Amino acid sequence: MIRKHRSRAAKAAFAISLGVAIVIGLFAAVFARPANSAGTTVIIGTKNFPEEFILGQLYKQALQAKGFTVSYKENIGSTELIQTSLTSGKINFYPEYTGVIVQVVFHKTSSGKTALATWQLAKKLEAAKGYTVLNRTPFYDTDVVAVTNATAKKYGLKSIADLKKVGSFKFGGFPECKTRNTCFVGYTKQYGITNATFTPLAGISAYAALDNGSILAADVFSTDPPLGKGSKYTVLADPKHVTGFQNVAPIVKTSVVTSLGSKFTTTVNAVSAKLTQNAIVAMNKAVIVDKQSAASVASAFLKANGLK
Amino acid sequence: MGLEGGRVTLADAANLHTFVDAAHFIANNTGFLATKALEQLALSGAALGIALAVALPLGVLLGHFHRGSTIAIGASIVGRGLPSLVLIAAFLTVLGIGFVNNMVALAVLGSGPLLTNSYDGVERVDRDAVEAARGMGMTGWQVLRGVELPLAIPLIFTGIRVAAVTIVATAPIAAIAGGGGLGDIIVNQASYRLSGVLGASICVMLLSALVFVALTGVQIAVTPRGVRRTSVVGEPQRREL
Amino acid sequence: MSLLIGDTVIPSFGKGSSCVTGDHTFCWDWVREHWGDTLGPALWQHIELTAIAVVIGFAIAFPLALLAHRFRKLEQPFGIFSALLYTIPSLALFQFLVPFTGLTVTTVEIALVAYTLVILFPNIAQGLNSAPPDVLEAARGMGLTRLQTLTRVELPLAVPAIVGGLRIAVVSTVAIATIAAFLLPKGLGYPIFLALKEPTPFKTEIYSAGALAVALAIGCDGLLVGLRRVLVPWVSKGVA
Repeated sequence: MIRKHRSRAAKAAFAISLGVAIVIGLFAAVFARPANSAGTTVIIGTKNFPEEFILGQLYKQALQAKGFTVSYKENIGSTELIQTSLTSGKINFYPEYTGVIVQVVFHKTSSGKTALATWQLAKKLEAAKGYTVLNRTPFYDTDVVAVTNATAKKYGLKSIADLKKVGSFKFGGFPECKTRNTCFVGYTKQYGITNATFTPLAGISAYAALDNGSILAADVFSTDPPLGKGSKYTVLADPKHVTGFQNVAPIVKTSVVTSLGSKFTTTVNAVSAKLTQNAIVAMNKAVIVDKQSAASVASAFLKANGLK
Repeated sequence: MGLEGGRVTLADAANLHTFVDAAHFIANNTGFLATKALEQLALSGAALGIALAVALPLGVLLGHFHRGSTIAIGASIVGRGLPSLVLIAAFLTVLGIGFVNNMVALAVLGSGPLLTNSYDGVERVDRDAVEAARGMGMTGWQVLRGVELPLAIPLIFTGIRVAAVTIVATAPIAAIAGGGGLGDIIVNQASYRLSGVLGASICVMLLSALVFVALTGVQIAVTPRGVRRTSVVGEPQRREL
Repeated sequence: MSLLIGDTVIPSFGKGSSCVTGDHTFCWDWVREHWGDTLGPALWQHIELTAIAVVIGFAIAFPLALLAHRFRKLEQPFGIFSALLYTIPSLALFQFLVPFTGLTVTTVEIALVAYTLVILFPNIAQGLNSAPPDVLEAARGMGLTRLQTLTRVELPLAVPAIVGGLRIAVVSTVAIATIAAFLLPKGLGYPIFLALKEPTPFKTEIYSAGALAVALAIGCDGLLVGLRRVLVPWVSKGVA
């Protein structure tokens, strides 16, 4: 009787584990199968902050509404990382900032004199590499230097050059800022700031770090909700335009553009045209402050503007 | 570096060269790495200190009175199952960003194995020895000091070692919450490239190994000679759950 | 209410509840609203990541343990390897694998399987060795072949240890998988990373994703205990 128990237990154990393995194997197979592509699939990637998530969702949903097959990879990383994804073919579409294309991807020391010139230069540079830069958005989002209101008052800070008045201090920003002409390198070189130590912020927000005093000044983005009305932070002026012109324009692999034709470009450009400064600020606020999901915010926006 | 004329080469190609680069990184940045390592040791030490102050006495007492076995055993499951990320994030919301929140989170993480092993160590002491001691007229406290604790040292130290290594090896994640240390490099592949990340990781491994060896040394020093003849390492946590 | 600026229509996106904008400790309404688009999918992805790792880990560890049981030499070096693996910060292991296998689920799974392996192998091996010598002798005495001894005596006796190992493996994997979100937007770690990046870290998201991760670990642990009770009901309940 005991022997029957034991062998039954062993058989049961084997059967159960085999069953579980098969079930999970099937599961994995189902989920691992790549989306079947009837025609070219648009693979959209985004960088690693909410505004990019919103942009990604906007383009993704608009294209899907027009019948295109879209695959979506959110939060790939900052410019340097997402460029790798683009050039290695893991993605073929992502929303980039025109000044970043010129000054970061192509390492020019300055972007064009106007927003239009910057976009045209970006277009030219990317075309030579096999990528098409589509139309730019009305809105722009540049890096800006921010300090808390208290700090601004204490040292009398109005523009970035005023930071020379402070003793040695810590400057916080996303890691890649340290080596960029549109960021820390630009600030220190163009304004002659020698007393700043760069602190890379990998996980926490610059605003949180400013609040708790671990950094004195930070590189943040001009469309961030904390900089809106009644802000606790002061943005320092950048008269030399170090941060360049930063409208958004999607970079798409030229072969994808050619194969998908004018319907594709029209759809994408129609979305870009609607993205005014106020629109993006409102969407950022909805996602960052009101904690809505980027997907639902994008969906609401597209529907209201007849793009979905 | 890696960004040539607009075309980003695939991060760092996967080959032995990356290890060579990592070695170069370590060689070129010894001062920086040393500062970071000390930062990490400070954080880990503080966390371990708290865990020792709280979990060790608790485990010993529970084991001595043969009570609370579910808590003690459950502690190790909870210790393994509490994602360090969740702990760090949760404490960040309450204690802000910096040293304190990470110290507390890591202390909680280290308390699991400490509690279980100190409980086990004391609880499993040969009952005959304990009875003999009581028969000789020793009070509970004297039994604990003179018999149970010395015999429990191998298991207790295993617990301390596991806790210490866990804390040191988990500390890098605290970098995303302002914890500093070598983690600042590891979470920042963008700034320090893969060679930096690998270099810093190797340093973390070395640090863990150092801590392991140091604690074993302390254990040998502290173990009474009679007990030392038995296993120094003690039973790992592979008991039937 | 929508605002007309030139051509663009900005719809109202629904104001966040006062709970959310006021940064209260926990907002149930946010959880309810975003279960479908944030928490639910994250939980599902997390279960997937964990399940794949544990199944593959088991599929490798089990035959390896059987081999070690047959040829005793394997156990020692494995102990050192596993101790070494645990000193590697999981984040570093993930990052190290990226140049080889890219920012994919494969990278994450390789690391998770490695960690699972080092837990399962010793536990299964120990379980297989746990048959008391006199029982083995009795089996031999009854004329059982080596294979029969294995399947009818040693394996059933090993079940508690195997399930015990599975428990630790599942619970550990659930925990380590939260870190995978550093590389991929998958699993319960992803909402936490995103919430940490906000200008003021978003408490509700952190607590809810965290609670789900812990609940998942405890739930799986409970399931496995139940499994053990079904398979080997004669093991005393006193052994946790």
